[in-house]
Amino acid sequence: MSKAPALVVEGLTTEFRIGGAWYPAVRNVSFSLARNETLALVGESGCGKSITALSIIGLVPKANGRVTSGRVLLDGRDLLRLDEAAMEKIRGNRIAMIFQEPMTSLNPVLPVGFQVAEALRYHTDLSPKAARERALQLLQHVKIPSAARRFDDFPHQFSGGMRQRVMIAMALACGPAVMLADEPTTALDVTIQAQVLALLAELKSETGMAMIFITHNLGVVASIADRVAVMYAGDIVELATVEELFAAPLHPYTEALLYSIPRVDRDAVDLKPIPGQVPPITAMPAGCRYAARCPYKMARCEREVPPLVAPAGAGGHLGRCWVRAGDGAGGHA
Amino acid sequence: MSEALLEVEGLSKTFIARHGFLGTAAGHVRALSGISFSVRKGEAFGLVGESGCGKSTAGRAILRLIEPDTGHIRFKGEDVRAAGARRLRQLRRAIQIVFQDPYSSLNPRRTIGQTLSEPMAVHGLGSAAEIAAAVRAVLAEVGMPSDAAQKYPHEFSGGQRQRIGIARALVLQPELIVADEPVSALDVSIQAQILVLLRGLQERRHLSFIFISHDLGVVRHFCSAVAVMYLGHIVERGPVPAIFDEPLHPYTRVLRSASPVPDPKAKVIMAKLEGEIASALSPPSGCHFHPRCPHATEVCRRVYPEWVQVTPERGVACHLYPAAGSVPA
Repeated sequence: MSKAPALVVEGLTTEFRIGGAWYPAVRNVSFSLARNETLALVGESGCGKSITALSIIGLVPKANGRVTSGRVLLDGRDLLRLDEAAMEKIRGNRIAMIFQEPMTSLNPVLPVGFQVAEALRYHTDLSPKAARERALQLLQHVKIPSAARRFDDFPHQFSGGMRQRVMIAMALACGPAVMLADEPTTALDVTIQAQVLALLAELKSETGMAMIFITHNLGVVASIADRVAVMYAGDIVELATVEELFAAPLHPYTEALLYSIPRVDRDAVDLKPIPGQVPPITAMPAGCRYAARCPYKMARCEREVPPLVAPAGAGGHLGRCWVRAGDGAGGHA
Repeated sequence: MSEALLEVEGLSKTFIARHGFLGTAAGHVRALSGISFSVRKGEAFGLVGESGCGKSTAGRAILRLIEPDTGHIRFKGEDVRAAGARRLRQLRRAIQIVFQDPYSSLNPRRTIGQTLSEPMAVHGLGSAAEIAAAVRAVLAEVGMPSDAAQKYPHEFSGGQRQRIGIARALVLQPELIVADEPVSALDVSIQAQILVLLRGLQERRHLSFIFISHDLGVVRHFCSAVAVMYLGHIVERGPVPAIFDEPLHPYTRVLRSASPVPDPKAKVIMAKLEGEIASALSPPSGCHFHPRCPHATEVCRRVYPEWVQVTPERGVACHLYPAAGSVPA
């Protein structure tokens, strides 16, 4: 693993306009990603995990969304300062993204092989013939059975799992430094999900690319992640290695999530649901955004937003919680 | 062992897949191939499997929302398939269904109060005032505020809508609820709230459930018995958690080991699992699972395995387990 991180995100804030006013959907998000590392962004609907990824790759809808601050450093450049033309050269080339529903991301009227080759022709100067050959290799690489025969098939002739493999082949086409995977296995059956997760892990170690893996499923996180950022209501509330996160969750929200999962490998004595709901983006509380649902809350939690800090002796394990992390250690915002 | 509330025996349903403007029959989809199971009073019985395995068809066939082709359905000893329209309506009071997506199953132009009182009005269960009181009571029981009756579905979150979907099933005081993926569309924290609610209802009202899900963790938590389905067949059936801790059928083993567990030490290692779920339009010969099965032999390619009752509670359809008379592994 080389020293320089593959991707650095600093102080990223993205806002959306609702009824004429702007509200932050992602607040001051910072993390870095090493080569060959998988960082899972995990959280429930509306926590800002997808918006974080869209902000990184410059796909926040312009009509009602804007990135208001922060830096996204890739290959020594701040992606947030690039214009669309420059960004188009990077997107699908140095940084690629795969989505939950491959059917809506693939063009239904073009053969899949053509779509993979198209990504290559856009970003490289390969001849059409060479691009076609490379696209076929990619489809074989993502283990599409009889890829040569299926090269000219259309997306509707593929199953969900195979479509996702096509998407992965397209994303890999130019050998990206960073892959953003937004719930890529959520729509798949578990046996197919397991195959796609195994494929992604294999491709990552082969190519050394860094991966941001977005999911709401902590089981999937445990299978694929090296480090985990837990998001809640637009904030990263905890950031730790996957082992630390599951062995010793720091934030009460992470802990509560782990207690609310019915597990297949053991008899849950009792599920402990988290009471209440995520606050709406238009009515965020003043202090800790989780305070209203938190059994440990103190007076301070409702007044002041806790910083994301490492409590003494926790190594690099960061938590955003007055109760658990306090303000002992300084540093991270 | 308490009495069986619902007995399903040899239930089959074949759909005809049509294509084109004239609707030419393109093939037959055997959505259900002779499935059998029974649900005891107060029990939660799980039906698990992946897309297209027939679990939802099974749930609907029991209510005759989809008319089965062959087989028997007995509810408290009564033949459901023989019931006429009038009797069927009465039976459906006792057997209710809750769907996965509460938004598309609630009428957006009706208030929650209207939606909840309609079934009672249809069945002639009391005066307007009595119905209104029952609606208030059932809303409170599912943990909704009392002013919810005046509101419309869009004013509620997914979890609240699922509570409303459950309330609608409850207003007729059913004995059995078919719950078709009732928590699959929900975030985990909300999913846990709904599971706790359902568990409470089961205990308080002594309700029985047929709980359809693809999530083995949820089934392990909620159900006391389960049937695992693959391409229209039940391949294994028995008590929870034995089925998940010591799965017999190779498919159950695959399903179990592919189910992610929130523990990095238990990483899913799936390099060995080959192949896709076959199409129900052209299921493989013999045992439908044989193309993906690491133990498949010649006989698996030719003959669909017979049901083997391994213990009084537990059975499996797989050639690995020798049929009647011999000692099970």
